Amino acid sequence: MMRHWLTPALWLLVLVAGCLGLPALEPWLQPLVDGRQAVIYPRDSFVTLLLNHLQLVAISAAAATLVALGGGIAVTRPWGRDFLPMASQLASIGQTVPPVAVLALAVPVMGFGDGPTFVALALYGLLPILRNTLAGLQGIDPAVREAATGMGMSSSQVLLRVELPLAGRVILAGIRTSVTINIATAAIGSTIGAQTLGDPVIAGLVNGNTAYVLQGAVLIGLLAVTVDSLFEALEQQWLKRTPGLSG
Amino acid sequence: MLAPNRVILVLGAIALLLFCSLDFGTIQPNRIVEGTPYGALDALEWGGFALVTLLLAVTLVAAVLALPGRYWAILVSVVLLLMALPWLFSGFLEDQLGERYPYGRGGFAAGFWSLLFLLALMLVEGLRQVGASAWLRLTAGVLVLLSWWRALEVEALAGLSLVMEFQTRPDQFQQALLDHLALTLGAVMVSLLLAVPLVLVMIRRVRWQRPVFALVSFLQTIPSLALFGLLIAPLSYLSANLPLLQQLGIRGIGWAPAMIALVAYSLLPMVRNLFVALTEVPADLLEAAEGMGMNRRQVFLRVQLPLALPVVIEGVRMTTIQATGLTAVAALVGAGGFGTFIFQGLGQAAMDLVLLGALPTVALALAADTLFTALARLSARLNGATAQPSLIYE
Amino acid sequence: MIELTNVSRRFGEVTAVDRISLTVETGETCVLVGSSGCGKSTTLRMINRLLPHSAGDIRVDGQDIREVDLQQLRLNMGYAIQGTGLFPHWTVARNIALVPQLQGWERARVEARVTELLDMLGLSPAEYADKYPAQLSGGQAQRVGVARALAADPNILLMDEPFGALDAITRENLQNEMLRIQRRLRKTTVFVTHDIDEALRLADRIAVMDQGRILQHDTPDAILRQPASAFVESLVGSQDRGLKLAALQSVAEVMQRHPQPRQAVPEKVSVGAQDSLRQALSVMLWQQLSELPVVDDQGLELGVLTRERLWRETA
Repeated sequence: MMRHWLTPALWLLVLVAGCLGLPALEPWLQPLVDGRQAVIYPRDSFVTLLLNHLQLVAISAAAATLVALGGGIAVTRPWGRDFLPMASQLASIGQTVPPVAVLALAVPVMGFGDGPTFVALALYGLLPILRNTLAGLQGIDPAVREAATGMGMSSSQVLLRVELPLAGRVILAGIRTSVTINIATAAIGSTIGAQTLGDPVIAGLVNGNTAYVLQGAVLIGLLAVTVDSLFEALEQQWLKRTPGLSG
Repeated sequence: MLAPNRVILVLGAIALLLFCSLDFGTIQPNRIVEGTPYGALDALEWGGFALVTLLLAVTLVAAVLALPGRYWAILVSVVLLLMALPWLFSGFLEDQLGERYPYGRGGFAAGFWSLLFLLALMLVEGLRQVGASAWLRLTAGVLVLLSWWRALEVEALAGLSLVMEFQTRPDQFQQALLDHLALTLGAVMVSLLLAVPLVLVMIRRVRWQRPVFALVSFLQTIPSLALFGLLIAPLSYLSANLPLLQQLGIRGIGWAPAMIALVAYSLLPMVRNLFVALTEVPADLLEAAEGMGMNRRQVFLRVQLPLALPVVIEGVRMTTIQATGLTAVAALVGAGGFGTFIFQGLGQAAMDLVLLGALPTVALALAADTLFTALARLSARLNGATAQPSLIYE
Repeated sequence: MIELTNVSRRFGEVTAVDRISLTVETGETCVLVGSSGCGKSTTLRMINRLLPHSAGDIRVDGQDIREVDLQQLRLNMGYAIQGTGLFPHWTVARNIALVPQLQGWERARVEARVTELLDMLGLSPAEYADKYPAQLSGGQAQRVGVARALAADPNILLMDEPFGALDAITRENLQNEMLRIQRRLRKTTVFVTHDIDEALRLADRIAVMDQGRILQHDTPDAILRQPASAFVESLVGSQDRGLKLAALQSVAEVMQRHPQPRQAVPEKVSVGAQDSLRQALSVMLWQQLSELPVVDDQGLELGVLTRERLWRETA
């Protein structure tokens, strides 16, 4: 029944265990550093970094989803259709810009810290969601939409009961891509002063402390894999709830 | 009956609003001191301000009036504006810097960037509306770039902080460009060389398909910082214990971890597109080719390859764009490239240095996009196909 | 009753429908026939306001459709289209239940109605109710499409080439279903097709359209016998008009009836009472006969059909 939730649960367990248990590995990590350096990243606890990292990604993903979904729906309605070509071009050209550049360009405008990181993540993150929203909505068989309207469904009924359920899987895939990119970009956000799991890596690179780098890298990797497997499970759940689409 | 173009109307109105309300440029007496912002009217004085406002007004009027040929008026205004921007800014720099601040420097502010961005969107919409050919698009782009190039050549923008940052380190910039290109293109090439045999095996042995796709997708989900970081420890261990590797320059930091990670990331788009390209040639087509007496080599070279080429190029395009951005991150592990400027600039809180790294990175990615999109279209046209290469979602 | 008076529809500079007037009587099946781009689909889509009309007047049961609430108007018209437009994420039962649910029927009533409709269209409810559209054949999906259009028992049925994408045999089966259902329900139906044979088969009256105008609006018999223009004549095909005419009439209508039905002679070549004259003619040609006994479903011989009689009727 719940088998597809098993994998993310296990990864989550490993992630939490990593956050709490890494300090216990100090003796094994000792050979990576020369004598005078600390072995375990001291400035913040890994749990704090993890939670702040997650918070940044979650809030920016929520904002990006809201805006991209709203925008994607708006430009596929009759009254917004004029803006459709521009929106889809913006989504595809925008994704050509590397996320790290967006992050870097946020600094001259907004300064250092969590704020600019959040804006950069939200702005960049909405592009894959917008693209997939458009692809999902436009991929619906026109006959389905015509039949729905012709039989007397109101436009909001058509949207909520027909279009969004049919496009849902593609939209979900867009959110997944967006979140994957944002977890990676948020880690780099450490360089512009955001507090994330990237901190140990950057500190380790700056000070030549390979043990810090390793700790940060392992936890970032675990976080990414956990969240990705969560989306995989969500997708399986979605398919199970709407079996008509898998056939 | 022609309806008003709401897109141009909205974009033009926002552009006008932001141009009038936001700061157009900043002036710093020297590199350290915080800059003084100047609004558009103060920066450009009446002449420049009137010119920009007038041309924007033309686009607005043309967007509302349902006259034939109105998009040409819009296109001409937008292109003129884009061409005029560096010269207008040059006037601003001359007026404000001049004798007063011999070490001073000027920078673009939010109003300038917004105008640039909105004009670009209007250009795209205008070109779409007139159904512009590739040549017309190219001409518009070249005109704008030439104007900017000319402004740089005659040192009209010498007082621009970005230009000054460049001028203090032209050799470093060139080196960064070379490093960036070498890493990006190297990774694309290596991943292509790896992907070809891998995909050929996957086509022969169906059992391989799932694990290979699972592996390359898994690699893609690992954040770049993590993968770079994870490679440092094992590589420094190997390098310390194997003199041969050390002689080859393979160390825990530097180009080696960067290259390995970049290749790992490039495998997914490359393998996926190659696989799709080679497996989605319609089976009946191949059967027909064989039935008409072509041997396997002929079928591959004359039928399969030409049909697959646009999709393969699309894969190379995606890979190159992705690798361009990731190479910038690789500067963190000492791989060089434009990322070096970004992270140095962030470290010193020198925003112009950040721009000097970020803008060329964006430019490289856009250039790769333009180049490979054109190549994919060209190869599709050689097949007589009018459609663009199929987009692969997810 | 549906009345169109001087109705036009323009798309930009193009006039898709040009001042047409058409009346579809209550309980009548009107088939709009013509080649693609003649304005037949546009006309249909103006009746449920999927397209607003540019000029003229459309009335349904005397009421101007622009004065009726849009949703209400459409909920009272069944709508079936080519490619079915079934919602792929809903089961067959839920698809059929759509309009009743939108109208707020009670659950039990909806379920009963779905079962009744599946039965009526020859799909076993136990087997098909919980299937998804992707699991159906083309013909089955189209049956569900028709069931969905009939679900809330609308007064009016609009059908836009519903059988256009089906193979010939499936199409003929569904046409027979349509005729059977129509005989029972007598819905006011507007049916669009490019297939003149389908039109001749299903229509009470046919409207032949070309370039946005109605060239002739008449019974199938009259369209065949007196085509109003060269276009109509070429559409019905001047060569095999006789066969088409023969296909319109059933044997029962023209046979010489016995005073009393009698037991049919077994093994003897015969035709069914409900068969068309065209089928009877084919049997006569093949068997080289000048006279055929006519039998009913129970195997009783009701009368005979002679060649002379057939000749006279299809002249």
